[in-house]
Amino acid sequence: MDAIKRYFRSPAAVAGLILLLVVIAMAISASFLYPRDPLALAGRPLLWPFSNPHFPLGTDNSGRDIAAQIFHGARISLLIGGVATAIAILIGIVVGAFAGFYGGWVDNVLMRITEAFQTLPNFLLLLVLVAVFGSTLTTVTIAVGVVSWPAPARLTRAEFLSLRNREFVQAGRTLGMKDLQLILGEILPNALPPVIVYASVVMAVAILLESALAFLHLSDPNVASWGNLIGLGRDVLRVQWYVSAIPGVAILVTVLAVSLVGQGLNDALNPRLKRR
Amino acid sequence: MDLTRLEISRRTALLTSAAIAANVVNPMRAFAQEAPRKGGVFNVHYGAEQRQLNPSLQASTGVYIIGGKIQENLVDLDADGKPVGVLAESWEASLDGKTITFKLRKGISWHDGKPFTSADVEFTAMNMWKKILNYGSTLQLFLTAVDTPDAQTAIFRYERPMPLNLLLRALPDLGYISAKHIYESGDIRQNPANLAPVGTGPFKFVKYERGQYVIADRNPDYWRSGAPYLDRIVWRVITDRAAAAAQMEAGELHYSPFSGLTISDMARLGKDKRFIVTTKGNEGNARTNTVEFNFRRKELADIRVRRAIAHAINAPFFIDNFLGDFAKIGTGPIPSTSTDFYPGPDTPQYPYDKGKAVALLDEAGFKRGADGTRFSLKLLPAPWGEDISLWSTFIQQSLSEVGITIDIVRNDGGGFLKQVYADHAFDLATGWHQYRNDPAISTTVWYRSGQPAGAPWTNQWGWEDTKVDKTIDDAATEIDPVKRKALYAEFVKEVNTELPVWMPIEQIFVTVITAKARNHSNTPRWGSSSWHDLWLSA
Amino acid sequence: MRILSLAGRRLAASIPTLFLILIGVFLLLQFAPGDTVDAMMAQMGGGDAATAQALRHFYGLDLSIPVQLGNYLWRLVRLDLGFSAIYGKPVATVILERLPPTLLLMTSALSFAFFFGLVFGVIAARGVNKWPDTLISTLGLICYATPSFWFGLMAIVVFSIYLQWLPPGGFEDIGNVQTGIWHVLDIARHLILPALTLGLIFLAIYLRIMRASMLEVLNLDYVRTARAKGLDETGVIIRHVLRNALLPMVTLIGLQAGTMLGGSVVVESVFSLPGLGRLAYESVVQRDLNTLLGIVFVSALLVIAVNFIVDLIYARLDPRISVES
Repeated sequence: MDAIKRYFRSPAAVAGLILLLVVIAMAISASFLYPRDPLALAGRPLLWPFSNPHFPLGTDNSGRDIAAQIFHGARISLLIGGVATAIAILIGIVVGAFAGFYGGWVDNVLMRITEAFQTLPNFLLLLVLVAVFGSTLTTVTIAVGVVSWPAPARLTRAEFLSLRNREFVQAGRTLGMKDLQLILGEILPNALPPVIVYASVVMAVAILLESALAFLHLSDPNVASWGNLIGLGRDVLRVQWYVSAIPGVAILVTVLAVSLVGQGLNDALNPRLKRR
Repeated sequence: MDLTRLEISRRTALLTSAAIAANVVNPMRAFAQEAPRKGGVFNVHYGAEQRQLNPSLQASTGVYIIGGKIQENLVDLDADGKPVGVLAESWEASLDGKTITFKLRKGISWHDGKPFTSADVEFTAMNMWKKILNYGSTLQLFLTAVDTPDAQTAIFRYERPMPLNLLLRALPDLGYISAKHIYESGDIRQNPANLAPVGTGPFKFVKYERGQYVIADRNPDYWRSGAPYLDRIVWRVITDRAAAAAQMEAGELHYSPFSGLTISDMARLGKDKRFIVTTKGNEGNARTNTVEFNFRRKELADIRVRRAIAHAINAPFFIDNFLGDFAKIGTGPIPSTSTDFYPGPDTPQYPYDKGKAVALLDEAGFKRGADGTRFSLKLLPAPWGEDISLWSTFIQQSLSEVGITIDIVRNDGGGFLKQVYADHAFDLATGWHQYRNDPAISTTVWYRSGQPAGAPWTNQWGWEDTKVDKTIDDAATEIDPVKRKALYAEFVKEVNTELPVWMPIEQIFVTVITAKARNHSNTPRWGSSSWHDLWLSA
Repeated sequence: MRILSLAGRRLAASIPTLFLILIGVFLLLQFAPGDTVDAMMAQMGGGDAATAQALRHFYGLDLSIPVQLGNYLWRLVRLDLGFSAIYGKPVATVILERLPPTLLLMTSALSFAFFFGLVFGVIAARGVNKWPDTLISTLGLICYATPSFWFGLMAIVVFSIYLQWLPPGGFEDIGNVQTGIWHVLDIARHLILPALTLGLIFLAIYLRIMRASMLEVLNLDYVRTARAKGLDETGVIIRHVLRNALLPMVTLIGLQAGTMLGGSVVVESVFSLPGLGRLAYESVVQRDLNTLLGIVFVSALLVIAVNFIVDLIYARLDPRISVES
């Protein structure tokens, strides 16, 4: 409870939360406000924002409503960000837990693999994965998750390394608890908080990675994602720069919101690091 | 969308096209009186780096833009699109069409000083055109030998009759000559001259900084006296179209060939007095946008479904609103720019008619389901153009209105070719069909059965028609030009009726060039030609 | 000498990782639809089956996968990176040609991010919770959240097209090739926007880390002692605080090296720079396995090297830490 109170005392954290709720609201209300397929032809291509009351944010090069794409795009970004982050955290926790708990050769092997993933530039690996498995929403999401797990893994491992020799673990062992019980039941709940907080960083990066892929025309063209729109707008950058600018601002706001919330959570859960 | 919006966009399109036409029609005439200015550096936008620069080994505009200024072809096209001799002075064919004799020009030497002779022609034709050059191997399939009784005569001997006009129309692209003394030892494909070409052309190769630029300087010993006028050509590697447009506006680039800028930038620069934006000079590089059907899907094997799909897509609307003046309605695989073979617009066509599309689909037995969908298809668009991307989105939108759900599957270049032409893992595909001045070169292969799996841009639809095959084969060996044209008209009628591939959009590449250039766009394949008469005014 | 032997040992320890990466990427790319011949056909705009067959044989693509992998690894052991299908040159040559722009870009982006991150982090920490802190922290977060390619595009529109202060792309002026100091300045001018674009995210990260690190150190005992001794605030910061606060910053450089290389793919694409990032993208699209693996190899070596240097600096900054640990 103290943590929540501490969270709300920071204006930046509150601002982040509000922004995030706005983005979530956009995602939820997309079907009500823009029931038609956002990728359907709506009007003349390349209309300027505010030039036509039907299209407050204008239309893109294919004549599609930009505002509709922004609202529906919120869903995609949150979806990709959320699912990819979940995948990354899940893999990271599993790898980190086993490496940190067992140590020895298990740790060695797992850390070599983690190191391999970290030494290889993650965007390159993403390019290769997309080239191999294709550019559908599913594969892009999984690919983004797969390139993002090393950091959570290291974090989890560090936590497990420091926690595994604590008294409550030794007590559990004396009581005859099996390894898996200890990992899942005793250590993990204590190791999770910093990892969960780090999830906000992973999510921010996931959204940026997907938009970079879309910019290179490597993401799923059948969904209204913000990155796709930026990529489209690249062709008309000189005059109709708003086609790229508007979704860019949307990404900025969302990533900002996620980062602020993450930072707020971090400060709230680790009060000794805050100087207020 | 209501009609008023349609009207306004048409009007704007007409105004823009009038503006561009005004730009196009007069520039050459107005300056006919000026004397050519010698000197200057011409900066060219080089958008897609190729693996090598030798046009005898690779037939693509990406190579000709550089290689075509350094090496030369036997024959090129003149301002009226008729064959004109370059390295060849004259030619004649035997009555049975199996022997074609070329008399070569005298007194031409390679950039390294050695003389150009018929031995070079023999070597290039037998080792490069026949064995390595894409489309060259098909064209020269029945070439058995090239006899060289003297240094100025090359006699091409064929097993089967080769129509002279086919060969002459193909040679501008597929007839570049390389030097025998440079390539005769070692592996042709690994020869360093492929990245540092030696030719007979108006410009000599100087330097190639991979990823940055290529430089060629004036050839002082060029066989056309007085030519070339330019001192140097620099090709700058710029892969980003927006950046290329910015460089043109900053005055750092003089010329962007082959639709190298985005559609909106081309339209914008067309209104700028400093530039000329035109399709003139590219009539030999016409292409059509395709909608390719995979007959392995039972829905698409039904001709009513294919015709319904054609009727459901409003191609004229798409062209007006998205492609502007740079495209027009296509009527089949032979574009209207092909004066020798275009059969006219009176072939079976499929105008936009949503009602008819729905009726055909219902009649074929594919009724709408509870959610309004009849069936869904995977559409694979080729990744090489902005227009293809817009067109695939438009197809998706149009077909969803008649109850067909389209799933667009993205691939990069290699992946696309493999998925469509090798693995046949597609339902609909859309890309470009490049017409190369004669249907026998790269057009009929889209329809002729018996193509090996994996050969790109050929009939991989799982469709065959023996009648069409016979028409194609007869036309390829018919020597009489009049009969040949009639056969191809028959061909277009047949394939437009069966519709294994629909080609509703015709495009010509767009040139964006500085208004200071003179003697540009004066042949139908100007971007690929040697530029010996190109000059820049002050 | 000690450093060399340490470097050698570090390299030896990284070999399993290197092999893992290379084999992994090699096998992964086998599953990609299409091979380098397909990509070449796509580029040529046409070709027949016989040509394709001959090309496949030429590139050794008709051999089985284990044989291809074995051949590759055997060549690698002899430090032969193979032949690039796209460029027709040895991969090592191609990479060496493209390495300088990327290295220059990365070092300038890193220096820019590190320096300004440090300065602004210190300012923010000094004025914690007052308006300089809030302003800097907010701007930092905005930099972090901005997609780099979007920033790059907007920067081109503003600085190259409207203001015409800086070139819109490229590595150097081809028209009048400069020499000596003018050449250096010319390249520098071309690198300003790309370095800014690439460095932006890292600026935000360093800023935050520096600030947090400073805040943590500023309240430690020995700092209070220094203040009690009468040292002024600036002296305190420079002599006592910075050295320790820098540690996390330096660690971060090692961790970010790989990410920066990935980020350079997009930046080099937007600014048409002839670097490794774009080369990597090209080799994925064109399925040029040898080049891609070569780049992966080189970038992995780069990351390992950077981490090693970071550890050396770390040891100097904090004598309690020895490099061999």
